[in-house]
Amino acid sequence: MTTSPHTYADKAAEAAVRATPEPLARRVRALSDKAIAWLFIAPTIALLLAINIFPLFWAIYLSFTNYRANRPNAEVKNVGLGNYSRVLNDPDIWASMQTTAHFVFWTILLQTVIGFALAYLIDRKFRGHAFWTTLILIPMMLSPAVVGNFWRFLYEPQIGLFAYAVSFLTGIPTSEIQMLGSVSLAPWAIIIVDTWMWTPYVMLICLAGLRSIPDYIYEAAEVDRASNWRQFWSITVPMALPFIMLAVLFRGIENFKMFDMVNLLTGGGPGSTTEVASIALKRDAFEAWATGRSSAFAIVLFVAVFGLANIYVKALNRVKQR
Amino acid sequence: MSEPVLPPHAAASAKPSRPFFLRRGPMEAVAVTVIGLGFLMLFQPFALVLYTYSLVTLLAGTFMFMIVSKFPE
Amino acid sequence: MSSANTAHSVVEPSARSKRIAATLVILYAVITMIPLVWIFLTSIKSPPDSISYPPKILFTPSLEGYCNLFTTRTRQTPEYIASLPPPEGMCDAVTRERNMVIAGPSNFLPRFTNSLIIAFGSTFLAVGFGTLAAYGFSRFKVPLADDLLFFILSTRMMPPIAVAIPIYLMYRQLGLSDTALGMMLLYTAVNVSLAVWLLKGFIDEIPREYEEAAMIDGYSRLQAFRKVVLPQATTGIAATAIFCLIFAWNEYAFASLLTSGSAQTAPPFIPTIIGEGGQDWPAVAAGTTIFLVPILVFTILLRKQLLRGITFGAVRK
Repeated sequence: MTTSPHTYADKAAEAAVRATPEPLARRVRALSDKAIAWLFIAPTIALLLAINIFPLFWAIYLSFTNYRANRPNAEVKNVGLGNYSRVLNDPDIWASMQTTAHFVFWTILLQTVIGFALAYLIDRKFRGHAFWTTLILIPMMLSPAVVGNFWRFLYEPQIGLFAYAVSFLTGIPTSEIQMLGSVSLAPWAIIIVDTWMWTPYVMLICLAGLRSIPDYIYEAAEVDRASNWRQFWSITVPMALPFIMLAVLFRGIENFKMFDMVNLLTGGGPGSTTEVASIALKRDAFEAWATGRSSAFAIVLFVAVFGLANIYVKALNRVKQR
Repeated sequence: MSEPVLPPHAAASAKPSRPFFLRRGPMEAVAVTVIGLGFLMLFQPFALVLYTYSLVTLLAGTFMFMIVSKFPE
Repeated sequence: MSSANTAHSVVEPSARSKRIAATLVILYAVITMIPLVWIFLTSIKSPPDSISYPPKILFTPSLEGYCNLFTTRTRQTPEYIASLPPPEGMCDAVTRERNMVIAGPSNFLPRFTNSLIIAFGSTFLAVGFGTLAAYGFSRFKVPLADDLLFFILSTRMMPPIAVAIPIYLMYRQLGLSDTALGMMLLYTAVNVSLAVWLLKGFIDEIPREYEEAAMIDGYSRLQAFRKVVLPQATTGIAATAIFCLIFAWNEYAFASLLTSGSAQTAPPFIPTIIGEGGQDWPAVAAGTTIFLVPILVFTILLRKQLLRGITFGAVRK
C-alpha cells in the first residue's frame, strides 16, 4: 500500500462532503453493518418463508383435517391423527415404500460401483481423460423428464433400440423384452435409466475424493512394500469414503423423492409395480383429491428427507474440512 | 444445567471429559443410527407394525440429531 | 530399499494401466452417448423410418419431425390437395406428401418461450437475492447463521410433490395457478437456496482486505459491495446463474402439477406431442433435441464449476 494515512483522511473527508447534500444517501451510508446484513438476508428469508415454509405449515395443518381440494366449500373437520394412522396402516402405501426401497437400493448400489470404478480409471490420467470425462457428464445435466420420456421410445419392444440391442446380444426375441410392460422388468427399466443418468454424478464426486488423497501416502506405502491391492483397500477406499458417503446420501435423498422420470417412463405401472412413494402421493393428492390424507403422507416423506438432509449436511461439512 | 457429575474413571483421565451422552460425536452417531433404523422400518416388507412406527422413529432420530449437534465436542 | 522408479510409478500410472483405463472409460462414454445420439438421429428421420425394424442407422435425412413439431396438420383428400396452389416452403411440401395440410402453428413455440421466460426470470431473481444473502452471511455475524443456512439448504431438499399440494391451494387462492409469475416465484424460491450456498463459498474466498481497503478509501459498505465485491465474484455469480438456469429449465414435477395451459413449460409439453396413431417420435425427438442443445452447451462451458455446483459447494475443484 502506497497511500499514506494522510490521504485516507483526505479521501474520507472528501467522501463525507460529497455525501452531505443527499439526505437519503446519508441515511444509507449511515446504515450499520447489522442493518445491512439483515437488509441483505431478509428478501431471501421472506421468499423462502412465503413459498416453502408457509406451505409446509399449511400442509401440516391440512394433514390433521379431512379437507378435499376438489370440494373447497365442504366443512373442514379436525380428524386428529386419523390421517396419519390411515397412511401408516395402509398396505398400498407400505407397498409403495418397498417399491421405493427397491429402486433406491439398486440405483445407489449400481451407481456407486460403476461411478467409483470410472473415477478410479479416470484418475489414471490417460491422454484425453478431460474430454471423455466431460462427455460422460452430459446425461446428468439433462432434464430427467424429457430424456426419460425419450427412453420410452428406446424401450419399445418392436421398434426400440434397447430391445433390439439386447435381442442382438442375447438372442431373446424382441417381443419378450417388454421393459415397460412386464411386471418383472419395469422396475429395472427405471433403474437402468436412473443409473445411466446419475452414475456421472457419483463418478465426479468420487474423482474429487481420489484427487484429494496426497501422493506422499502412496509413496510411504510403496516404501513399506504394500501391494497395490492392499494400497487400494487401506488407502484409496478409506480416504475416498467421506466423498462416497456424500454421493450416496445425496442420491438417496433424490431417489427417495424421485418423481419426474418414473412418472414419464411408467407412470407407476404396469399395475402399481413401479409406483414409488412420490407417484403414490401424486395419485392420492391430485387424482383421488384426498388432500388431508395425502398431506399426512407428504409429511411422512418430508420427515424422512429432513432426517437424511441433516446427515447430509454433516457429511458435507466433513468433506469441506478436507 | 449444572456441571455433570463425572464418573471416577473419567475424572482420572487426563482431559476433562463429559460423559458420552453430553458429547456431540457419539450422540450424533446414535441419532444417525436411529434415523437409519427409521428408514429400515419404513422400507422393510416384513411387519406392518414396524412400518406404522417408522414415522415416530424418524422424528425421534431427527429431533435428537438437531439437539445433540448443538453439544460441544 | 525401494528403487527410484517405484516411487515414480506411484504418482504416474504405468503405460499399460493407462491404456486399459482409457479403453474402458471410452467404451463407457460411447455407450452412454448412444441414447443421446439416437434422439438426434430420430429427429431427422421420417416417421416410417423412425419405427422400422430393425432400427435404421442409415436413412435419408428428413426434416419432417421438425415440421411436425412446429405445426398442427389435418388430413385431406388427395383431390383437395391437388386443387391447392403449389406448396410454399419445405414443410408444406413434406406435409402434403402425407395427404395432409398445415392447419396452423403448434403449441411448441409458446411452451418453449414459457420455458425461456420462467427459467431466465427465476434465475435472475434467485441470483440477485442469493448474492445479497450470501454477502450478508459471509461478511457479517448473523445470529444463528448455521441454523439459517441449514434451513435454507433443507428447503431445496423437500420432495416437490409434498410441497405441491399446499402451493397448489395457495396459488388457487392468489390467482397464481398456471401463470408464468407463479412458476417464476416458485423456481426462484427453490433456486435461491442453492444460490446462497454456492455464492457464500465464492464470496468467502474474496479477501475481506479488499473491501476494508476500499472503505478506508472512503467507500461506504454498500459501495464497497458494489464496486469491489461484485466484480470479484463475477465468475462465481455466472456459474451459479447457469446452475439455477439448468434447474429451472429441466424442472418437471411442479410444472406438470401447477401448469396446464398458458404457462406450461416445455418439459411437460414435449411428452404430449402426438401424431396419428400414437406418439409422433420424430417430432418428440426434434423437440427434445431443441430443448437439450442449450444445456449441452452450458455443460461444456461449466465443466470446471460443475463439481462445486452439484455438491453445494463442498468440493471446490
